[in-house]
Amino acid sequence: MKDSRFGFLVSLPGTIYVVLLVAFPLGLLFWLSFVRFDFINPIIFVGLENYIRVYQDRVFLLALQNTIIYATGVTVFTMLAGILMAAAVSRIRRFSTFFRTLIILPWAVPLVVSGLVWRWMLDPGVGIYNYLLNISGIFKGTINIFGDPNLAMIACIVADSWTKIPFMFIMVLAGIQSISPDLYEAARVDGANMIQSFKNITLPLSQKSILTGVLINSMFSFRTIDAIWAMTRGGPAKATYVLGIQLIDYLIKYQNLGLGAALGVIMLILVSMFSSVMVYYLLRR
Amino acid sequence: MMPAPDSKSNIVVRIIEHSLTPYIVLLLSVLFMVSPILLMFLNSFKSMAEALAWPPTVFPARPTLESYIRVFNSSVPLTMRNSLILSLSTTTLVLAIALPTAYGLSKYPFKGSKAILIFYLASRIIPPISLLIPFYIMLSMLNLINTHLGLILIYTYISLPLIIWVVKGFFDEFPKDLIDAALIDGCSRLGAFARVVLPTSAVGVAAAGIITFLWSWNEFLYPMVFTSSTAVGPLTTGVYEFVGDEVIEWSSLSAVGMFASLPAIIFFILAQKYIIAGLTKGALKL
Repeated sequence: MKDSRFGFLVSLPGTIYVVLLVAFPLGLLFWLSFVRFDFINPIIFVGLENYIRVYQDRVFLLALQNTIIYATGVTVFTMLAGILMAAAVSRIRRFSTFFRTLIILPWAVPLVVSGLVWRWMLDPGVGIYNYLLNISGIFKGTINIFGDPNLAMIACIVADSWTKIPFMFIMVLAGIQSISPDLYEAARVDGANMIQSFKNITLPLSQKSILTGVLINSMFSFRTIDAIWAMTRGGPAKATYVLGIQLIDYLIKYQNLGLGAALGVIMLILVSMFSSVMVYYLLRR
Repeated sequence: MMPAPDSKSNIVVRIIEHSLTPYIVLLLSVLFMVSPILLMFLNSFKSMAEALAWPPTVFPARPTLESYIRVFNSSVPLTMRNSLILSLSTTTLVLAIALPTAYGLSKYPFKGSKAILIFYLASRIIPPISLLIPFYIMLSMLNLINTHLGLILIYTYISLPLIIWVVKGFFDEFPKDLIDAALIDGCSRLGAFARVVLPTSAVGVAAAGIITFLWSWNEFLYPMVFTSSTAVGPLTTGVYEFVGDEVIEWSSLSAVGMFASLPAIIFFILAQKYIIAGLTKGALKL
């Protein structure tokens, strides 16, 4: 048997899988988005009607806006925290394994649990963090964080970021550690201080791993609802209502699969556009 | 080369350059990263009444195992068993598909193998929530809603593309000469794979297996929609047993949270290096 034939045969399981569990559902998704499928009326082709109805749904633009705020918030927060922690770990000699292990630990916590834990810690009736915010004077009196639209969004962003910082941290740390120490030495001899060498050496040279981490974390936060589901389910007053929750509502609450599929396609297109820009930018470096 | 720094930024620079600064930053970071887990752990030993007290306590006044007893008498052990079944089966299935596939794509490329690899990568961009409805229809037609088999098939979809890339990364590093030597010694191509390549790539295989296990263990969206009973649902959905509309049993919930996080925490402490190597390998392929 020829080598290429052998390669084709042993990789066949993966190819079959891709056809059955990616290509086929993807095709089904597009087909569904063009038909009326609501378990009541007969299934008929309706063209773009589902897309138009999703767009005209008064929660759609709000959900889109919330999703963008949420994903941006999580991405920026994880990026800044990841860079800060990685830069700090790369500077110390003692206990670096100890700190690294502890920083990675939240990665182990399922997002649902993370959402519930933060909901508990911030709870106005029993939450330790709420109590700390209270006695530190940041808030006057006990405040119901999940009753306030802005605070609820921030709480969801913090809970989601908390589990995503470890990945960002690892990516940035790998990037920083691959930089030759000679560069820093040369910069120091030239009289550069730490801020300058961070700006001119560390950031540009670890840019690729930072951006890869940003790409993956932003893709994930755009689509995951685990933490929001555990904390607010989209409330209060739809302040944390994101596209993912809207899609679940179409499926479970309204049982309108055509609308859900159209929203699924819209989400897919938004993510693809965003990621292609990012990948293009990454590959150009 | 650079403008003379004014005195104000001089102070900032001196603070940042101080050798204790990174330790202070890290102590605060660790406080933020670890306190939720630690507080959850401590909370699980409180009595129900103490967990509802205001102001909240950090350390349990009288440590008790009553929340663990409540958890053991609930449906949580059942959902934990389900989580184990789902995660172990998915890991086995994913590895059974990914190992030969990655091997073929890495060492015996054929016409179209590049395109297949890129398709795996591209499929990671698809938001799993977009495929929720197609999967729902597929599972309904196959009568697999609310079954383990249905969930395992879908779970496979979540990790397989990345795992193929991770494993391929490890196979790529394996020298082709060694395979050729084994072939000359009379090994078949599959024999060389099983006896020479796999044992030396054990670290990569283990990393891939652990990543798959953890992703399946943590999965929430699909089981939330595709299961309706605790006889089938995993721990991530079982957690909600203690979340009522009015009252949440925080101490019991903390105990369940500990169970849900435990496998990953153990893996992370034991095999951190390999998991990180595997994940960064997969991620940097983008």
